Amino acid sequence: MFSRHVSSLTSAYCHDELSPTESRRVAEHLISCPRCRAEFEEIKFGARLAAQLPLIEAPDSLWHKTEIALNRDGRAVPIRKRGRIIPFLMQPRFALSSLALVVLVIAVATFWPRQAPKSLGPSWDVARLNGAPRIGADLVSDKAKLGIGQWLETDTNSRAQISVSDIGQVEIDPNSRVRLVETKPTEHRLELAQGRLSARISAPPKLFFVNTPSGVAEDLGCAYTLEVDKAGNSLLRVTTGWVSLQLKDRESVVPAGAACATRPGTGPGTPYFEDASEIFRAALTRVDSDHDSAGQTNTASLKVVLANSRVRDTLTLWNLLPRVAGSDRALVYDRLAALVPPPSGVTREGVLKLNQQMLDAWKEQLEYRWSDRLSSGPFKT
Amino acid sequence: MQSSPDSINPGVIRACQQGDREAFRLLFEAYKDRVFSIACYSLGNEAAADDVTQQIFVKLFTRIGQFRGDSEFTTWLYRLVINSCLDERRKQKRFLPVEEFTPMTVPRKPPETRYERREIADSVREAIGGLKPKMRMPIMLKYVEGFSYEEIAEVLGCSKGTVASRLNRAHKALAKKLSHLRGELEL
Repeated sequence: MFSRHVSSLTSAYCHDELSPTESRRVAEHLISCPRCRAEFEEIKFGARLAAQLPLIEAPDSLWHKTEIALNRDGRAVPIRKRGRIIPFLMQPRFALSSLALVVLVIAVATFWPRQAPKSLGPSWDVARLNGAPRIGADLVSDKAKLGIGQWLETDTNSRAQISVSDIGQVEIDPNSRVRLVETKPTEHRLELAQGRLSARISAPPKLFFVNTPSGVAEDLGCAYTLEVDKAGNSLLRVTTGWVSLQLKDRESVVPAGAACATRPGTGPGTPYFEDASEIFRAALTRVDSDHDSAGQTNTASLKVVLANSRVRDTLTLWNLLPRVAGSDRALVYDRLAALVPPPSGVTREGVLKLNQQMLDAWKEQLEYRWSDRLSSGPFKT
Repeated sequence: MQSSPDSINPGVIRACQQGDREAFRLLFEAYKDRVFSIACYSLGNEAAADDVTQQIFVKLFTRIGQFRGDSEFTTWLYRLVINSCLDERRKQKRFLPVEEFTPMTVPRKPPETRYERREIADSVREAIGGLKPKMRMPIMLKYVEGFSYEEIAEVLGCSKGTVASRLNRAHKALAKKLSHLRGELEL
């Protein structure tokens, strides 16, 4: 575990200027160091701002003025007339050979586009795993390239694997549609319109994103599966690391072993561990859907969630705090505090008012209880 | 805009060195927008940038015979550009009262108003214009010309580490100054 902070390397990291060893060191450090991660976010934001700098077109008159200045300067040089580009073709003795050349050029130009497709620009490698995936209208026979804006589609029998630049891989399951939205050193983004993908990414946080109809999955250094149904609802399951799901101002941060459902228009639901009891999960679904549709909390279902919660389920309870209000929030606080008492400096009053510093401090204490490594340890209830 | 331009054909440079005006026109067309952009961002004033860009290309044409090929042409060119812009800025500070500038500024909008892409670009331009030259130059070479850190270091005559450090500071300064745009850039 590296203890040296990496803030001085952050811009170089964003610009892919570090050696592979240094880059890996920075990536691993960012996953575990909130201070450097905050600085990384700031610098990345600054880099994104700088990237908005437009190229300013020089005025059309500039050449004319420059030429006048060159001539006035007294070092004007005679304009050397260029010879005609292909003079020999115009000469009678070469007429026949030039005609043959023209015919050859036309013939090549007619057939060439099929063998030499236009450059795609930035693209990702795609490998066929099964069946006959397509990129646009073209079948992927073995390997292909997925360019920005292009759709990769799989049918019932096909699967494909996408190499996400040099930071990881995504497997596309049958009956899926994905599109490459962006690929550059500070951002790699896919859109999953329908179907399922599994991602394994080794990169610093917030470099790889997947857009879905109901939110954006933001990689925080992880492996996960993401599934979108025909109605645009998504289900995220995290295998390792962390993923953030966002839509507008609603965010759920989902650790390994946990899942989170999202719905179009409302965004991410409350994350939960998949080994929570069936009663817990069913009640949570009712809390989320009633809150989304009616704007009010189903208190009866909330009480079921709280009564069936374990230490590990403090993930869900902590995420519920800002989603419920008034006496419901007090119920959540009381159960959370009973399972894992808040650290010093975090007060009941502050948490009920959603004091962000206090919420973050409590979360920092709760996080290691959400780790998979502890699922069979002393904290499991 | 972040990608580097294709390298200019060495034959064009050789032709320029022999005084070929048409070859120089090609060179001019290849670099005019980038040079003009850097001049604008350095001087904060399109009229001054126009004059300086002309001067740069006149110097380029008259001095191109001195280019011996022991560095990349673009390194040599942008040293000329940066030095010319710095000279002009020093002259402006000495001889012109500040109010004679026509800065490219955009007033800040109330927080709840969404920004158009052009307004974001204008805000970034203003913010970059306000950076100290030591931070502004690496930003322009990185984001206008698309240079690597090594290339920037060669142009500025410093180490790669210094370039990294200056870009770090510049990015932080921009993030701080334009924090109100955080929600405006797409996630």
